[in-house]
Amino acid sequence: MILLTALLGGGIVGWGVARWQGRIWLPPVLNMPSLVVLGFLPQFFVFYIPATRNLVPDRVASICLVLSQVILLVFSWQNRDLTGMPWLMAGLACNLTAILANRGFMPLPFETAARLIPHDILDTLTIGARLSKSSKDILLPEAMIWLPWLADRFTLPSFFSYRIAFSLGDMGISLGAFFILAKGRITSPVLISGDLS
Amino acid sequence: MKTTIFKLMLSVSKINKTHLQIIWAVLALTMLVLGAGAPEDVGGIGIRR
Repeated sequence: MILLTALLGGGIVGWGVARWQGRIWLPPVLNMPSLVVLGFLPQFFVFYIPATRNLVPDRVASICLVLSQVILLVFSWQNRDLTGMPWLMAGLACNLTAILANRGFMPLPFETAARLIPHDILDTLTIGARLSKSSKDILLPEAMIWLPWLADRFTLPSFFSYRIAFSLGDMGISLGAFFILAKGRITSPVLISGDLS
Repeated sequence: MKTTIFKLMLSVSKINKTHLQIIWAVLALTMLVLGAGAPEDVGGIGIRR
């Protein structure tokens, strides 16, 4: 949700600024867009589609996650000249590092999970296991996490009813996504008939 | 019925190359951020099983 909100926010800001300046907003032109499809597809089947994610063992899921993020990192590098892409690339690199250092999944500190998840559900979860088949996270006590500052340790302030844990990498990705769409591809001002300036 | 089909065809004919480029770029960026990010999204209803 945090990632899609950033993307939507960037699009709205970019469109609004372009409209205010009398220009047309267009999203940026991406190099090698097929790489992003190739990178996302493994995750799509392993985490997003209920019919397939239940068939995939955790070991295979972690390999797919790492492979997928490596491909997406290559795609980001190919598009590094876009405004915001360095932020996104840094965030992705942080997440990939945390995942590689912690059994192939993003670590969720037990202490953070306790703030998010009702205790009756938390009691049913196993330390060191994934939270669910749709999750990229494994539950680990803070002391067992390698590079704990890169883990999903941050939460929204308590006045938000929406519960989410995110990492430093997720913040970089959100910031990058926002700037990519906010900047967009600005075209020349739209000339109104008779306007010679 | 004829009017509905006509309206539908009119809407489709208004989709040009630029619209497709916008849809494709937004879709690609959506796939990028969803694939790159790893937040634990508990939401308001608990963990999805």
